[in-house]
Amino acid sequence: MLDFIKDNRKPVITLGLVTVIAYVFYFLDEIKTTSVLVFGWGYAVPLVLAAMVGIIGERTGVVNIGIEGQMLMSAFASFFGSVITGNIYVGMLIGIAAGLIMGGFLAVAAVKWEMDQIIAGVVINIVAAGLTSFFYAPGKTLPQLVPVVSIPILSDIPLIGPVFFRNGIFALATLFIVLAVNFAIFKTRWGLRSRSVGEYPSAADAAGINVTRIRMINVTLAGALAGCAGAFLALEAAGTFARGLTAGRGFLALAIMIFGAWNPMGALAAALFFGLSTALASQLQADEVINIPQQFVNLLPFVMTLIVLSVAVGRVRPPAAAGQPYTKEG
Amino acid sequence: MKRMRTLAGISILALVLAACSSGTTDTAAEETAAALDDSNCAAAESFCVGLVTDIGKVDDKSFNQSAHEGAMAAAAEVGGFYKYIETTDTKDYAANMAQFTDKSYDVIVTVGFLMAEATVTAAKANPNTKFIGVDQFQGEEVANVTGLIFPEDQAGYAAGYLAGLMTKTNKLGQVLGLEIAPVQKFAKGFEAGAKAANANVSVTTVYHPPADNGFGDPVWGAAEAKKQLSQGADIIFGAGGGTGNGALIEIAKAEGAGTSIFCIGVDTDQWGTVPEAQPCLVTSAMKGLVEGTAGLVKAAFDGSIKGGNFLGTTGLADYHDLASAVPADVQSKVAEVVAGLKDGSIMTGVTL
Amino acid sequence: MSLTEQKASDKLGIFVRNQSIVVPIAAILVAFVLGGILIFLQGVNPLVAYKAIFSEAWFDSDGLLRTFQKTTPLVLAGLAVTVGLRVGLFNIGAQGQLISAALASALAGIYITNLSPILHVIVSLFCGVIVGALWAGIAGVLKAYRGVHEVISTIMLNSIAIGILDYLVSNPFKEPDQSLQRTKKIAETAVLPNIGVIPFGFILALIICLLVSWMLNKTTAGFRFNTVGKNKFAATYAGINMKLMVVTGMLLSGGLAGLGGAIETLGITYRFEPAFNAGLGFDGITIALLARANPLATIPAAILVGTLRAGGASLQFETGIEPEIVDVLLAITLLLVSAPILAKYLFRGKAQKSANVTSGWGN
Repeated sequence: MLDFIKDNRKPVITLGLVTVIAYVFYFLDEIKTTSVLVFGWGYAVPLVLAAMVGIIGERTGVVNIGIEGQMLMSAFASFFGSVITGNIYVGMLIGIAAGLIMGGFLAVAAVKWEMDQIIAGVVINIVAAGLTSFFYAPGKTLPQLVPVVSIPILSDIPLIGPVFFRNGIFALATLFIVLAVNFAIFKTRWGLRSRSVGEYPSAADAAGINVTRIRMINVTLAGALAGCAGAFLALEAAGTFARGLTAGRGFLALAIMIFGAWNPMGALAAALFFGLSTALASQLQADEVINIPQQFVNLLPFVMTLIVLSVAVGRVRPPAAAGQPYTKEG
Repeated sequence: MKRMRTLAGISILALVLAACSSGTTDTAAEETAAALDDSNCAAAESFCVGLVTDIGKVDDKSFNQSAHEGAMAAAAEVGGFYKYIETTDTKDYAANMAQFTDKSYDVIVTVGFLMAEATVTAAKANPNTKFIGVDQFQGEEVANVTGLIFPEDQAGYAAGYLAGLMTKTNKLGQVLGLEIAPVQKFAKGFEAGAKAANANVSVTTVYHPPADNGFGDPVWGAAEAKKQLSQGADIIFGAGGGTGNGALIEIAKAEGAGTSIFCIGVDTDQWGTVPEAQPCLVTSAMKGLVEGTAGLVKAAFDGSIKGGNFLGTTGLADYHDLASAVPADVQSKVAEVVAGLKDGSIMTGVTL
Repeated sequence: MSLTEQKASDKLGIFVRNQSIVVPIAAILVAFVLGGILIFLQGVNPLVAYKAIFSEAWFDSDGLLRTFQKTTPLVLAGLAVTVGLRVGLFNIGAQGQLISAALASALAGIYITNLSPILHVIVSLFCGVIVGALWAGIAGVLKAYRGVHEVISTIMLNSIAIGILDYLVSNPFKEPDQSLQRTKKIAETAVLPNIGVIPFGFILALIICLLVSWMLNKTTAGFRFNTVGKNKFAATYAGINMKLMVVTGMLLSGGLAGLGGAIETLGITYRFEPAFNAGLGFDGITIALLARANPLATIPAAILVGTLRAGGASLQFETGIEPEIVDVLLAITLLLVSAPILAKYLFRGKAQKSANVTSGWGN
């Protein structure tokens, strides 16, 4: 536990601070604070999941700018998968499978073919936007609702309970996914190998690590998380599919990933920060407490992010080999 | 080199195969209307109707779809030919209309207020073609342009009046698309109606932040609706294309939907367009887009159409299955208000 | 290798030597074949569909004008992203820079009066370029002096620009007495004319394209840009001022995107409306990648995209095929241009390995 805090000092401090402030507001206005936090966390969930996709890829040396397209494809697949099979759980699996396939595509293009990684990602985005729009069929509805699950005991905690522990499956899983990714990257052999591949692939290769293989596996598996994010958006958050459903969240997730310094806990903190400032903006618009045009109120999350980054966080360093294809010498 | 030849061979083969099948060409757009084609639209006995959507598609469950359905039905009814183009770039309005004028279409329906200026320009250049501008207010009268406009504030007012009478918490919510004129009219009408029905009511109004997808963000709409629900709003007006639909779908999931929690749709009777919302959908603030467009197309067919503005009807959609949840006295009061709005005895007081 | 085969490969040597031209053309052909299959599955003859696109986009005078009009901002947005990539910056914010500039030049076209036509156009274009450059410059300064990554800052600045512009055209600069969010029309003197079917802006874009190419390939400044983009450590050792390079790189990139927006306003739309210019900046990324960050190649890349977009409506009118098919064609083309598979398939051992366009997140 102490190690964990030491390793993640900035995110832990940020999250702690947010928690304290949130509870202060909670005692002032229980209902509003809870609902604003629910909005904020709901907004953050796909960003966090998508940021994990980016982090796993880049920690292994593969830039993934195609998260937006991966999510969109998965959202499309999970929705129409549910409609066709008549079962949302099968739909969820189809969505995750679509994410895996999209991850696999990026892996093949960027790692096996050594294609320019950013181009590979852009191709995914364009293909996804085109296909999901071209094959979209209107008038379909989900066969059933995604149930809301309350985790016993935890969901009874004031404020935190209803926000984090009374949710749909993907939103519930997200917290654990972040912890798992964080643990896997920093505490397992796989993580060590992945990071070495992302920082110094030729040294990793010399040490007997199969650079191409580990990159292929990681990028493909990360696609499954993009699948979760897509399925969350279509099945849990919107309950429907619309063209362009992801609405730029994949790009925002890249910003969150960098904001969080390529660190899962950092990305969680960054996404929460962004989600909460978005929620706050919408609440300010609803309450009309300040007489500012809504266009300016809604700039809050973007401006706050820029200010925080330029004042507090400063320079962060991406994994050294991110973006560079690796060709084995000789 | 061999591979290069194979590749070329495959390409040629594909093209030849494709060419062979040309005889059976049949297109989606043409299937939707009478089995004529548009090769002799100029002839007096043929009647060709074209439609240009605003950015967006004819299956958007919103104004493009309604205008499309109306125009298509009217064309079929009078034995005319119908075709549409979906705009992908606002700078293409003129070019898309030109596709139809080049073939001497009799009527061109242009959908959305953003197209108003381009429509008038095209109409002046093509005096023999009738233009129907959906949601386009005509400042000056051009003989061959008819603007189909709606008093959205009246539909909003009626919906707000209903909500004001029905709310138990005295809190209403609005989840809206971008802050542009037609949406503002709905929203301000709703608020005015609610306050007229119930002086104690408070209305929370939230517009989607400015973005390219302001009318296509159901995820945001759902989250905003959830927030307003948990802050005590018991009737929420979702107005803003896909964004509003997301709100309706979310409210339908809420505990008490249809008994203590209600949602109100917009533009068309969303009982049919967003079936997911049926558990909570008490009514929709309707614009008679389908009927209005169809009526004007038919008027163009029989020659009775006039330039200038044509005021379409607005009103509330049927209560459908939730009729039992609306008390009889509320129903009759709302009916009075709808009638009063129509005959002008009730004014919404909404100005932009 | 037998004699006849030897001869054959000599004849084909010209293809092998010009792979950088052959591969993109082959890529487009294959993309059209694959797209043709998609179209065929919709029950339409692909040849009829493609004829609809090209007869509209190239062989119709209005259509040709529109193709050039659509190509113009794409060339400039593509150049903006290209210049960024050369300095190792990934400018996702061309969209925000372009729309800010579009409004700025509209305002100059409306509120500056009493200028002669040519001067008014120049001043208005200049206003757009300056605003585009400054908007990108914010990201440059934040990167150089505060270490804020340009991918984050430009994404945020895109959203901030949309919000501010939305406010400005709904309130202070809204055309009075009507309900749309839009500015007044620009003065006649600020209009950028068309010369026959060729918009003046297109010619301007071509000239700028040549200038950027010359700058990047033949000048010291260009050499510095490329050095920074290729290897920041080497650049630092060579005594290049990194901070200056980052800021000027962003300023130049934003200025180019801004010029694209200004030409849109002065040459096509004549006023500013938030719905105009949607997605142009993002198309710029596609163009730059399609052109493999080569400034001159942005011209054919932009013409390809402009053609497909200009012919999209005709495609739907003639065949009922939805215009999204165009994006699928583009994506396949981009994939085949960039992935080494096609070159390997065509040339096998003789395939040239092309250098990567991007270097991940820059530095």
